[in-house]
Amino acid sequence: MVREDVATGGAFLVLGAGLLASGTMLPAGVGGLPGAGFFPQAVGVLMAALAASLAIRGIRHSATSDTNGGDLRAVAVIAALLFAYLALWGTGFFLVRTAVFILLALRFLGRRWLPSLAFSAALVAFVHIAFDAGLNVSLQ
Amino acid sequence: MVTAELLAGLAAVLDWQVLAFLGAGVCLGAVFGALPGLTATMGVAVLTPLTFWVSPEQGLAMLLGIYCGAIPAGGIPAILINVPGTPASIATSWDGYALTRKGKAGLALGINALASAAGQLTSIAFLAFLAFPIASFALRFGPAEYFGLALLGISLMAGVSGDRVLQGMLAGSLGLALALVGLDPMTAYPRYTFGLSEFLDGISFVPVMIGLFGLGEVLSQVSERRARAKAARIEIGRVVPKAADAKSLLGSTLSGAGVGTMVGAIPAAGGDIGSVIAWEQARRTSKDKGQFGKGSLRGLAASCSACNAAIGGAMTTMLTLGIPGDAVSAILIGALLIHGIQPGPLLFANNQAFVFSIVFLLVFACLMIMAVGLLGARPLAKVLSVPPPLLWAGIIVFGTVGSYALNNAVADVWAMYAAGLVGFVFRRARIPLGPLVLGLILGPMMESNLRRALILSGGDWLALVARPIVAVFLAAAVLSIAWPWIRSRRSASRSNLGPPSSA
Repeated sequence: MVREDVATGGAFLVLGAGLLASGTMLPAGVGGLPGAGFFPQAVGVLMAALAASLAIRGIRHSATSDTNGGDLRAVAVIAALLFAYLALWGTGFFLVRTAVFILLALRFLGRRWLPSLAFSAALVAFVHIAFDAGLNVSLQ
Repeated sequence: MVTAELLAGLAAVLDWQVLAFLGAGVCLGAVFGALPGLTATMGVAVLTPLTFWVSPEQGLAMLLGIYCGAIPAGGIPAILINVPGTPASIATSWDGYALTRKGKAGLALGINALASAAGQLTSIAFLAFLAFPIASFALRFGPAEYFGLALLGISLMAGVSGDRVLQGMLAGSLGLALALVGLDPMTAYPRYTFGLSEFLDGISFVPVMIGLFGLGEVLSQVSERRARAKAARIEIGRVVPKAADAKSLLGSTLSGAGVGTMVGAIPAAGGDIGSVIAWEQARRTSKDKGQFGKGSLRGLAASCSACNAAIGGAMTTMLTLGIPGDAVSAILIGALLIHGIQPGPLLFANNQAFVFSIVFLLVFACLMIMAVGLLGARPLAKVLSVPPPLLWAGIIVFGTVGSYALNNAVADVWAMYAAGLVGFVFRRARIPLGPLVLGLILGPMMESNLRRALILSGGDWLALVARPIVAVFLAAAVLSIAWPWIRSRRSASRSNLGPPSSA
């Protein structure tokens, strides 16, 4: 069994079935013309059929030894930093928040304090000049 | 008479001020194209007001410079860091980034510059000599033809998935599902918005693209390389391809230019669709299909050529019919109108010199960006020697601010981050990412045009197939999906037969 294919197939099967079921709750259309629910149902059927094929193929075939390793803890920390940074969007002090985010991320990734501080200040200054001053994007 | 108009058009362009505006536009366009999140459309839109105080030639020179500079420059981050700078350069990243990983970043950038120029010059030649036939062919496109074109584009999901066809098609179906979010294109009935007004306009594909390819790649590299995150010694290699390589790329470059010009001439279809179709066409006709997506020079040349040829195609439709071929040409029409110039058939009859000026401006812009691309390839490739954590921080910050800048909407940044996580998970599960973007871009086009076509035909599905252009598109779509299976069956039956007897 190829666990990766079975897991992918299973996840998409659930998603496809959900799409199909939710599509039936949308307007079906009138006079033989498709309505708002037609495409969600069609995509749901397509997704479920493809997912079932992948899952079945995964069950039938034997597994290969090609597994993905990697440092998932590092990814989790960076993702958490990103979502914390985004959650604070609109609270003001955009440049300071961005600089702090870059600084923390670089420190976590093993860069030294001073170069990290200099890089984050330079990057934030460039973003301010290019987007805030140049393109009039309201960054808060 | 025509010669006099041609010379007048050339003389207008050879003014140093016009050339200076063109050069400034090309450089600004290169910046807009190379920074993920900033697009050619945004560059032209933001800088259009600056052109109101100058002559039409100078203003148009600057805007065309931005347009012609941004598209090839979009290929630079696609090649170097796997983040397409513009939607048109998605297909460029497939082979371009693979070449960078093989230590051939210089060659990939060189081919990007040369094939882009070749594609654009070919499409300008089409504009100069075949403007009316191309535009009138494009005008034959009704909703049914657009549906056929979108279906053909989506069917290419199988082709761009490499040896993971099922996974690629699943990713494509996820793209189609994401495209359903927002108001129904025909009845404005809200779908999958969960009561949030931010979702009413649907999910923008630019933040999704930045997230999938940019943030997803960063997270993937963080997981793989954290322990040895220091500047690596990067091989840039030669920039200009050898004569033999250049000769072997001629066919795919020209076929990409043809596809790009035709697709670009069709209103609302641009380089993003054209480059994918050209890449797949090059793959299908190539002897080394297995190399496509793994660093094929032909694949790179075809996609670069097509996405730039779409510029000439779009300009053809714009100038001959006054219909925008893409978002940028829609803004250009507005700018021309402000300068008192009405694009359309009368422009060719009454102001031929101005049309020739545009043709020459496009040619000069193309040569300028080619020079920038070739001379700047080595300095640009130095970005790869930046320590990875600094590069990752730059990608994240530019991706974040660029996504926000599109609509000044934080929802776009959420979409980018969510797409980044999906991109990371897909990379780990070895699910191709390209089909997802294809589904997201082409889904709305396919749905709205199918439903419009059915309204026009009174619900008769067979009437769609009866239209010749649609029939050709549908046949090509069926072949595109079925071919990988036919090929694998044929190779399986061949291997079952065993090696031929030597007796």
